[in-house]
Formats: sequence, structure tokens, C-alpha cells
Amino acid sequence: MSKSSIDRRKIARNLREVIDPELGVNIVDLGLVYNILCDDGRVVVEFTATTPGCPMRRFLQQQVEEKLAAIEEIDEYEARLVWEPEWNVDMIKKDVEFFAYPPPQQRA
Amino acid sequence: MNSNIKVPTYILVSLLFVAAVGLLTGLYSGLVRLGFLPETNHAISPLAHGPLMINGFLGTLIGLERAAALDKKWAFVGPVFMAASTGFLLTGLQVLGEWSLILGSVGLTVVMAFLYYLQPKMYHLIMALGAGSLLVGNLFYVFNYPIYMLVGWWAAFPVLTIFGERLELNRIMRPPKQAQQIFVGLILGWIIALGITHFDRVIGWSTASLLLIIIAGWLVQYDVARRTIKSVEWTRYSAVCLLTGYGWLILAGLFGLWYGFPTAGPLYDGLLHMIFVGFVFSMIFAHASVIIPSLSGKIIPWHRYFYLPLLLLHGFLAIRILGDLLLLPMVRKVGSHGNVLAIILFLVGVLYQLMSRSLKKKPEPPKVEKSPA
Repeated sequence: MSKSSIDRRKIARNLREVIDPELGVNIVDLGLVYNILCDDGRVVVEFTATTPGCPMRRFLQQQVEEKLAAIEEIDEYEARLVWEPEWNVDMIKKDVEFFAYPPPQQRA
Repeated sequence: MNSNIKVPTYILVSLLFVAAVGLLTGLYSGLVRLGFLPETNHAISPLAHGPLMINGFLGTLIGLERAAALDKKWAFVGPVFMAASTGFLLTGLQVLGEWSLILGSVGLTVVMAFLYYLQPKMYHLIMALGAGSLLVGNLFYVFNYPIYMLVGWWAAFPVLTIFGERLELNRIMRPPKQAQQIFVGLILGWIIALGITHFDRVIGWSTASLLLIIIAGWLVQYDVARRTIKSVEWTRYSAVCLLTGYGWLILAGLFGLWYGFPTAGPLYDGLLHMIFVGFVFSMIFAHASVIIPSLSGKIIPWHRYFYLPLLLLHGFLAIRILGDLLLLPMVRKVGSHGNVLAIILFLVGVLYQLMSRSLKKKPEPPKVEKSPA
């Protein structure tokens, strides 16, 4: 695959594997991923946390970086935490089922 | 690839380790207080129990959690001083220890106020008031006020922090706006009642106890735990911890309405430990599966073993309270030693699960082909 044609759907699929352990929902369905920017082998994922004091912020950042690193086509990546716009519960995907997702430790 | 994370994980893990030292020495000091090995000349003063548990353990842990979330170096002033206070108090450097408590709680209050500045929401305000309560309690402590006068402020620190966290998390349950406003009003009323105890202990604590019951009732009604108790593994376990913790809060409220706010003795012991062990430690057990990954990046693999320490925590606390109420020191002793055992068994479980996972994940060494002789 050409490095300029990174599949954003593949990135989104990988990011769906990042589960917020407090809510048992992946970060894409929670509405925490704001942007996936791709440019010639470089990917920037802009994401947020439910609150600036969210204790899971570091964990989520590490998980996002791991998922991006796992994609072969990506040369360079950045998991960029942003606070604008402010996250709210209306950003959660409609009808999402909380805590229905297998806990992360089951899948490890 | 460089991560955007500014403060390395090993710093967090080191501070987490010092928090654990605060916990273990605080527990030991509590046992000394209860007459553990009376013939021995103990290195840790029984008077250090409160400061070690509230500041050395909870102050470091909660401060660390917030600082890690902000990922700003200055935010670590709070937990670093809290951790230092453990070292100073254990080595008998009382004055330095007291200064560390004050600086640590100022640091924590600034962090919480900064979070409120970043996102001026009620849950951040409640958590900031919790940090402020710790500072108030510590100021009373360094000015040598008796512990029974300041312990309410020490209790307010973890209690308000948890109330704020639950209000924040329970946004997903979309509680009616009016219900949220009532919750915040009840909490502000509770803080005012705590202040009133300095002028009229009976009226202040009776009001605080009544409000505590209503706040716990609100949490039972609106907390996500009522749903997640039907889930599995850590999620279900957390829900059990949360709901039983709220139960202890209701009992502490009823206890306070009946017996008031004693200044010493078994009833004082009973009331404090219903809040600190029944509620606060239940919450720590509930949140461990989130706190540990948030600081170390490592998920704790689930095992149903974790129900054992939880059962022991609640069971032995009930025994302890019974001993306090019936004025049976031996029963109280059994209960309190059992509580220490429960907490240690929980810690051992967490460490074992973390270590067994990292051992399982270690890659096999590459096979070296022997060259022909």
C-alpha cells in the first residue's frame, strides 16, 4: 500500500479498540476522537477526555499511541489531546450501551 | 516516536509507592494505637495514624491522580510534599512534616482550583472544596487543635472528592438538572454544617448527619452503580463497592443522629471508621481498577479473589462497630485487625495480578542455534 493512502477507516477501527475503563465504551463511540488527520504517512489524531481532571487521560493517550504504532502504513503519528470543543454527553453515539463492552482485561 | 506525555510514568509509580508506604505505616500506627504488641518500643507513633492515612496516603494518591491528569510538572508539588510528609513524620521530623502537609494541601487546592478554572463545573467545585477542606484540617492540625475538632475537615477531603467524581461520572446517566442542583445544594449544606460544628457541635453534626443520609440516598438513586451491578468482573465489583460504601454512609449518618459527634472513646472510633473504612476504603477498592492503569498504564487483570478482601473489610468493620457500641474492646480489636488484613489482602491481590500478567506477557528468549562442533 502506498504510504500516502492511509486508510482512515482502519485507524478508526483500531481506535475503537481503545476502551475507557470507567465507562466500558470505546473512545470513538464516546465521541472523544475529534479528528483523524492524514498526510503522506503522517497521522495526527485529535482527541479529548471527558474532563481536564480525568484520571484516565494518560492511559487513553498511551493506548491511542499504541494503536497508531500498530498500523504498518503509518510512518509518523501524534496523539494530540485537545480541549476545544468541550466534550459533553451529547457527543456520545446514540443508543450506545455502557459497560456492555468486554472489560479490557478480558481481551488482553 | 516521542509521546506527548510530559511526566514519565516512573515518577508516578515512585510516588504511588510512597503513597503505599503512607498507607502501610498508617495502618501499623493504627494497630499500635489499639495496643498491638504492647511490650515493643514501636518506631511509629500511634499519633501518626491520622496524618499518615489522610495526608501520606490519601493526599498523595488523590494529588497524584489529579497531577497525572493535568500532566503539568507544577501540579506535582502537591503529591510530592504529601509524599515527603510521610518521610518526615516517620523519621520524627515533626516540624518539617507539618510544613509539608501545609504545602502539599496548598498544592492540591491550587490544582483543583485550576481544574475549576479550566472547566467551571459543579463537580470540579466540589472536588476543590474537598482539597480546601484538607488544607483547613491541616492548618488546625499544625496549630495543635485537638484532632476531634479537625477530623471532620480531614473526612471532608476524600468524601467531597468522591462526591465530585461521582457527579462527574454520572453525567452519562443524564440525571435531571434539578436533581443535580439538589445534590450540589446538599453538599454545600453539609460543608456549612461542618463549619457549624465549631460553634455548636450538636446542631452542626446532627445537620451534617441528616444531609449525609440524603446525599447517600441521592447517590443510590442516581449512581450508575445500580445498573453496572448487573455487569461483570471489575465493573460489577466496583458497583458492589460503591453501593455498600453508600450503605455505610447512611449508617454513619444514622449513627451521628443518634450519638452525635463524640470527642473520644469507642463511639468516636466507631463513627470515624464507618466513614473512613466503610465508605472511603470501599471507594478505593471500587476505583482501584481505574486508578492503577491511570497512573501506571497497567490494567489489573480481574480475579474473583477481590471479593474476599471486600467481604472481610465490611464484615470486620461490622464487628468493630459492634465492639464500639457494646463497649467490648476485644471485639473492637478483632474487627480493626481484620480491617487491616482486608486492606493488605487487597493490595497483595493487586500486586499479584499485575506481576502475574507481566510475567505471562514476557516474550520467550530467541532460540540460539548451536553451531556444529
